[in-house]
Amino acid sequence: MQHMFKYFINFFLFFMVVDAFSQEQPKDSLANLNDSIVYKSPYGIRLGVDISKPILVSVDGNYNNGFEIVGDYRISKRLFLAAELGYEDKTAQEDFTNSTAKGSYIRLGINYNLYENWLDMNNEIFAGFRYGFSIFDQTLNSYKPNVVNGEGNDVPYFPANLISSDTASSLNAHWSEFVLGFKVETLKNLYVSASISYKIALSIKEPENFKTLYAPGFNRVFDSGTGFGFNYTISYLIPFSKK
Amino acid sequence: MKKIIGFVLLCIILITACEKDDFCIQNPVTPKLILRFYDANDRTTTKNADALYVWAEGKDSLFVNVVTDSLVIPLNSNTEQTVYNFSKGNVVEQFTINYTTENEYISRSCGFRVIYNNLSFTPSNNWITDFSTIETTVENQNAAHVQVFH
Repeated sequence: MQHMFKYFINFFLFFMVVDAFSQEQPKDSLANLNDSIVYKSPYGIRLGVDISKPILVSVDGNYNNGFEIVGDYRISKRLFLAAELGYEDKTAQEDFTNSTAKGSYIRLGINYNLYENWLDMNNEIFAGFRYGFSIFDQTLNSYKPNVVNGEGNDVPYFPANLISSDTASSLNAHWSEFVLGFKVETLKNLYVSASISYKIALSIKEPENFKTLYAPGFNRVFDSGTGFGFNYTISYLIPFSKK
Repeated sequence: MKKIIGFVLLCIILITACEKDDFCIQNPVTPKLILRFYDANDRTTTKNADALYVWAEGKDSLFVNVVTDSLVIPLNSNTEQTVYNFSKGNVVEQFTINYTTENEYISRSCGFRVIYNNLSFTPSNNWITDFSTIETTVENQNAAHVQVFH
């Protein structure tokens, strides 16, 4: 019986050794040979224009003029320095006031590409941050004193006349901005991009006895000092190098 | 590409459709003038004016045949004078109010309101015997601006 156990134990030990041996790599394998191709992606400066602004000029009667140049510069695999430079002229038609804001703005910041590209594709889904600054004039064109009678909005006993005013104030605004968007390379080096942004005002100069209703680059100023933006751009990449 | 166009259209719709975010809930924005009728013999107690008709010069009636001890009437913001007629019974009292106007900005949805400053009153003394100015500025509607004795 004891011989019998010895036999079994030896038998298993034998298999263990065989097992362990079979796991080992033969010395002359292809282990150190790199069989994958590294796709290089272009680095350079990308310049473009926002084409939603000319569309807005032709569609929205209160959007008198708008133009924006966009650009970014790639500094690492995922990080881009980004900037937008623009001019806007927009009339805010409210229930009781009509005012026009016009001026220039600049937005500076970074984009971070969250998208892992396949093969040699160069698309992006990005999140970004901007600092925005705008210098503009806001003119109160006309207003009608609110003498509306109660909530029913019935005709007041003494309807107020429209008062023409032409008071312009030189204003400025600073804000920070979070951007979310994507870029698609549609043709070689030609990118189409769309993004939305959420803006938080750091400081907005207010005119006397009126309010800053619209700031170029910031868009409509909501009561809480926040704003929303939308960009639709076409840009061209001038590649400097490939890494 | 179709997805991009869809996204762009969606964004344009969202941005243009969400214009109105606030409504003017202040009521009223421009305050009205409040008159309180008092007894001419006992100047501390209010006294109703009966069968009262109220209209501004050249306008339709504002109140028809009311019995009240207080009147809330709007002032004309386009001029610096409003002439009201108060008819009690068949006696017409012409009540002239002079003031200066000031436009004060409230908010995007409410716009500007009118504040009436430097109030002065000129009654024709047909059934009103006297008046007493409490406020020279109509800035709110919390209390009477003028006491009228009859």
